[in-house]
Amino acid sequence: MNRKFAITILYVLPIPVLILSLLIGSSVKVGIYDIYDLLFRPEYSSDLTRTIIFDIRLPRILLVFITGGMLALTGSVLQAVFRNPLVDPYVLGLSSGAAFGAALGIASHVIPVKLSAFIFGLVAVALSWFMARKNKEVSIVSLILAGIITNGIFTSLLTIVQIMSDPFKLQSIVHWIMGNFHNASWDQLSMIMLPVMAGCIIIFVLRWKLNVLALGDEEAASSGLNPNRLKIWVLLAATLAGSAVVAVSGIIGLYGLIIPHITRMLFGVDNRRTLIYNLLLGGSFLVIIDNFSRTMAGYEIPIGVFTMLVGAPFFIWLLKKSNIGWQQ
Amino acid sequence: MAAVKPIIEIKDLSFAYDGKTVLEDLSICIPENQFTVILGRNGSGKSTLLRLMAGLLPVHQGSILTKGKNLRTYTRRQRSGLLGFLPQKHKAVFPFSVDEVVLTGRAAHIKMVPSKEDRIKRDEAIEMLGIRHLRNRKYSELSGGEQQLVMIARALAQQPKMLLLDEPISHLDYNNQIDLLRLLKYLVSLGISIVAVLHDPNLALFYGDYFILLDHKRAEEADRSNVLNMQITDIIFSQNIRRIEHDGVQLFIPEK
Repeated sequence: MNRKFAITILYVLPIPVLILSLLIGSSVKVGIYDIYDLLFRPEYSSDLTRTIIFDIRLPRILLVFITGGMLALTGSVLQAVFRNPLVDPYVLGLSSGAAFGAALGIASHVIPVKLSAFIFGLVAVALSWFMARKNKEVSIVSLILAGIITNGIFTSLLTIVQIMSDPFKLQSIVHWIMGNFHNASWDQLSMIMLPVMAGCIIIFVLRWKLNVLALGDEEAASSGLNPNRLKIWVLLAATLAGSAVVAVSGIIGLYGLIIPHITRMLFGVDNRRTLIYNLLLGGSFLVIIDNFSRTMAGYEIPIGVFTMLVGAPFFIWLLKKSNIGWQQ
Repeated sequence: MAAVKPIIEIKDLSFAYDGKTVLEDLSICIPENQFTVILGRNGSGKSTLLRLMAGLLPVHQGSILTKGKNLRTYTRRQRSGLLGFLPQKHKAVFPFSVDEVVLTGRAAHIKMVPSKEDRIKRDEAIEMLGIRHLRNRKYSELSGGEQQLVMIARALAQQPKMLLLDEPISHLDYNNQIDLLRLLKYLVSLGISIVAVLHDPNLALFYGDYFILLDHKRAEEADRSNVLNMQITDIIFSQNIRRIEHDGVQLFIPEK
């Protein structure tokens, strides 16, 4: 009963959140009547209102929603695949790898930004995985340590790219790394749509098998799955969707860690259902955070600042509470 | 053992981890519909042998025939219907419910999500082990004995002809050890062949029908009547262990 109520709220939540967020912004006051005018009496509404709603706020809100949803989704998928409740795109280095890739794309104009972000996101995850692997086992803590190293490597490489870039490009790289959406546009939305959809479809198809993977490799293999092939598919899908949103949003640290835990606490662990819950909760919640980030001060506070400040203590709390594996 | 049909025939099997030979020129048979016990000291290659039989490690030298055919010639689904495998200790990371854990045994039959038939098979396995009362509990919160039952139910949901268990009782208290061995015995009576790695010679002799003894890369096999007369038995249970006979039963006890 309680859980059903929570699920209903979760499904309905995005609607008011998205609509209310349309009304929030630093520029001009645009109220509910303006939206009504815009939709039903276009002759009464001004071009300015139209531009603000349709070309500035709406794409931004949608982009934030998709980004939040994807970060939470990939976070939960990575946790299941690595059997490690303490990882997310940020912890594993996917974010910094994709960030470096995207910056390289912006600075060099040689590789497309999206492709470069995907490749380096994948490289980063693989790097963390292989560094953490010892005797065919990957312990929970060694994976996190490997992620720190990976993050360090790609952050350094990113700095090199920044130093070598001209001031204009540098500015766009820096803004973007801090994690914010003020450049959100329909172009960006259409740019990420394909990889996001592809990633989601693959993950959706494999959603139940994540339950089997989460039990362990030998268990999965002995009941007739090929755990390695399955992992590769899931990781490709997660990296595809994850690096695509990182390429437009910048680094939003630890968000993909927090949301899957909240989802698990509220709705259990069965990946058949929790994936969609992560998507909805992750999307709605990031839109709410973004509303703060764009209105709290006269200028925009990067959204990554919020998620890190909330996420860091949450991570420590999890580490202490879960009492998981310093050994294995 | 000529009378009993073998379910697994191992011929000239050798296996090495990173250049270190663990098993060498092994040739043994596992009889069908019996409780086969693998005995041997730590590091004698028991777990390796079990994993090779389960198809979890690749056979490079020699051959393993399961029901007359190389395991590789079976599809993954066929293989899951042939044998189920229980690792030594399963460590739960996420709090899945017992229902969800047992259902994963059906993985080979499931394209995307479990069907009604899969849930029926799961329910049958749960009934068979008498753990209906645990269904909605979280696997990670169960006791060691209960967890072992759940993992057996998970393997039975595959409907295998054979169960391979790596030290299934080593984390259990004495009562649970005996309950579990009785359960395995019961499964044998239902037509499921059991192969289990055990350490306790007394329990092994009490419940086992057939024995594989491993020592220093080599192996020997014996049925109940022969096992105690074999030299290798003295090697595995050496100096500080004494044999006594009580009520016609051979017992192994520590030397004073």
